[in-house]
Amino acid sequence: MQAAARRPRTNHLDLAQRILDVARQRGFEPGARLPEQQIASLCNVSRTPVRAALSLLAGQGVVRWEADTGYHLAIDLAAQPAIAAELPSAEEDELAEAILRDRSARRLDQTVTVAGLMRRYDADRKTVLKALNKLTDENLLDRAPGQSWLFRRTPDDPEAQGESYEFRLLMEPAAILAPGFRLDGARAAALRQGMEVLSALPDANFDTREFQRLDMDFHGMIAEGCANRFVSDALADHLRLRRLPGIYAGVNVFRLRQSLREHLGILDYLESRQYEVAADLLRIHLRLSRNQRPQAASRGAPALFGMIRRPD
Amino acid sequence: MTRKASPTIALFPEASFGAALNCVGIAQALRARGARPVFICHAGFSGVFADYGFQEYQLPTNEPLSDSDRQSYWQAFVRRHLPHFRLSPIDQLETYVAPTWQAIVDTAVNAEAPLRQLLARLKPDAVVLDNVIMFPAIAAAGCPWVRVVSCAETELPDAEVPPYLSGMAADDPQREAFEARYLSASAPAHDRFNRFRADSGLAPLPKGLFLETSPDLNLLLTPTIVRRERAEPLDPDRFVYLEGCVRSEGPFEVPVFPRNGGPLVYVSFGSLGAMDVGLIERMLAVFDRMQARFIVNAGGLRDAYRAVPDNVYLDAWFPQPSVVAKSDLFIHHGGNNSFCEALRFGVPSLIMPYCWDGHDNAQRAGETGVGDHIGRDAWTEGGLERAILGLLADDVMRARLRENAARMALTPGTNVAAQAILSLIGT
Repeated sequence: MQAAARRPRTNHLDLAQRILDVARQRGFEPGARLPEQQIASLCNVSRTPVRAALSLLAGQGVVRWEADTGYHLAIDLAAQPAIAAELPSAEEDELAEAILRDRSARRLDQTVTVAGLMRRYDADRKTVLKALNKLTDENLLDRAPGQSWLFRRTPDDPEAQGESYEFRLLMEPAAILAPGFRLDGARAAALRQGMEVLSALPDANFDTREFQRLDMDFHGMIAEGCANRFVSDALADHLRLRRLPGIYAGVNVFRLRQSLREHLGILDYLESRQYEVAADLLRIHLRLSRNQRPQAASRGAPALFGMIRRPD
Repeated sequence: MTRKASPTIALFPEASFGAALNCVGIAQALRARGARPVFICHAGFSGVFADYGFQEYQLPTNEPLSDSDRQSYWQAFVRRHLPHFRLSPIDQLETYVAPTWQAIVDTAVNAEAPLRQLLARLKPDAVVLDNVIMFPAIAAAGCPWVRVVSCAETELPDAEVPPYLSGMAADDPQREAFEARYLSASAPAHDRFNRFRADSGLAPLPKGLFLETSPDLNLLLTPTIVRRERAEPLDPDRFVYLEGCVRSEGPFEVPVFPRNGGPLVYVSFGSLGAMDVGLIERMLAVFDRMQARFIVNAGGLRDAYRAVPDNVYLDAWFPQPSVVAKSDLFIHHGGNNSFCEALRFGVPSLIMPYCWDGHDNAQRAGETGVGDHIGRDAWTEGGLERAILGLLADDVMRARLRENAARMALTPGTNVAAQAILSLIGT
């Protein structure tokens, strides 16, 4: 965890991402002006952090500075949905990712302490606390008594995955059907383009990580489009768990391609405002996505679903 | 008879991952050639084949087990059999092999009526059976049937081939003793199976045999590099060697390890072997002190592990062929699919067998110089480390395996199988 000084601050990165989200939602085209005051007002912040965030985006070539007119959008956001992945990450973000990766591989126990993490990652207390707070904000961790934190249960075992799909089957179609659902048209267009590009790749080059990004964005878009804030928040919290490493492991490319086609079909009906059909298709999509692979099988034995206790 | 534009091929693998995924490979090649492969599957395997895009027909069961029943079954199974997996092959005959044959006969008896009904409805152009036991309904289906010998080659007896499940060399002086004990241990299940065959209109099989060769076509996975000379060579018109039969999976991205660097070793003992958490934990302690990265298939018991070393990555499932292709060594249980995948990608095998034909492949890996084997019982940490380092350092073996893999890649077993099946129904 070195070179912290060269890394951008988390709040500037978050704001840079929010600026891009606003620009995408409002359909800003390449070359569009990005007045600092307007951006500050849209993002509910002062001009100073906006300037820093725009400078960060300029460094990535996403916006450009012109002496007379200020910042302008330099790219077509609808055609480049993956800007976020290209932004540099803050030190605590990297640490949070490492913590999640190590928990997923069971290198970390369910309970972790600040001191233990400082030792393990050779990081200072402040950075560890920021990373833990970030994971807590994302509902991946809970504060436990003392200086310890407890990982929440994630859908990375068959039983939890089953419960996760049951929850999503209840909530995601309901998100579409709740009165007032609004589709983010620009985000939908960018997603469609991304999914079509991925679908066109041959199996050998199929990018599972890109699938994961598109999948999370697609389902996140549905959650955020819901007019019922409680449904929207509950879904957003749950879907965040799906970004953990290993959640998408083991799904073969055939099913991922099929899943992309199902996403595109649902998008068709969302865009044509046939929400009941979209909700039905979403229900089918979730049922098909639920992994049915048994956990164990052997000659003459009934296939095992779910987990068993550790043998004595 | 001319070939149909889109013949229906019904694949019926046993309820194990080896046979199931082996058949997925054949079905992928059949589909690429315009055929319509469909799967007949046992309860519990529904969804496995659909995820690869194939139509499934599940055999109904009279008494479907609840999830809780299955968990109880497996908890008892593991408690009962884990100690048996540390025994020698001959001592497993009464403890593991005999009760397993009884359970396999049960599956054949229970499947018979629904299988007859399903085949009558499906009217396939051919049935592909990847199992260790015969289902009389298949012989009565009115179409050619194909036997896939997806266990080790020892599954087809011959005077020059060691006894099935023995882990012996062909000239082992204990051979007769093993054969006698095998026949005795399997006799109750065999007698019951022969009575069932008679009731179903099939002739009895000789003692010890539960599955005849197909009069139409038999496919053997055994690659040339480990193939055996037979006293009675197999008729090439009916017996086709596939040089392995490896399905295509999506790409695998090697994870980042906190302690990154060194050769990559993949460890998988199949879903059954993954239940031996204690053994894998002992292995992790050895891996921890080595300059290598280890990818370990922990199956459904991933949560049983704590403080996994920084050069180890555990998960419940991997797209195995894609992982093996990127590995420098494959530690496995000698399952025939695993063995063939290692050969297909030119990777040495370190086999730690625990049952069935894993013993035979372990012996063969050593005999043919494509790997090494360690007993599951009484291994030492030093012995395991030396075996791993020895195989990683054996450049001669690696070069030979690479050359062999290049030859195997020229004629993928899946394609040979699909072509042979389509030729069978086109004549």
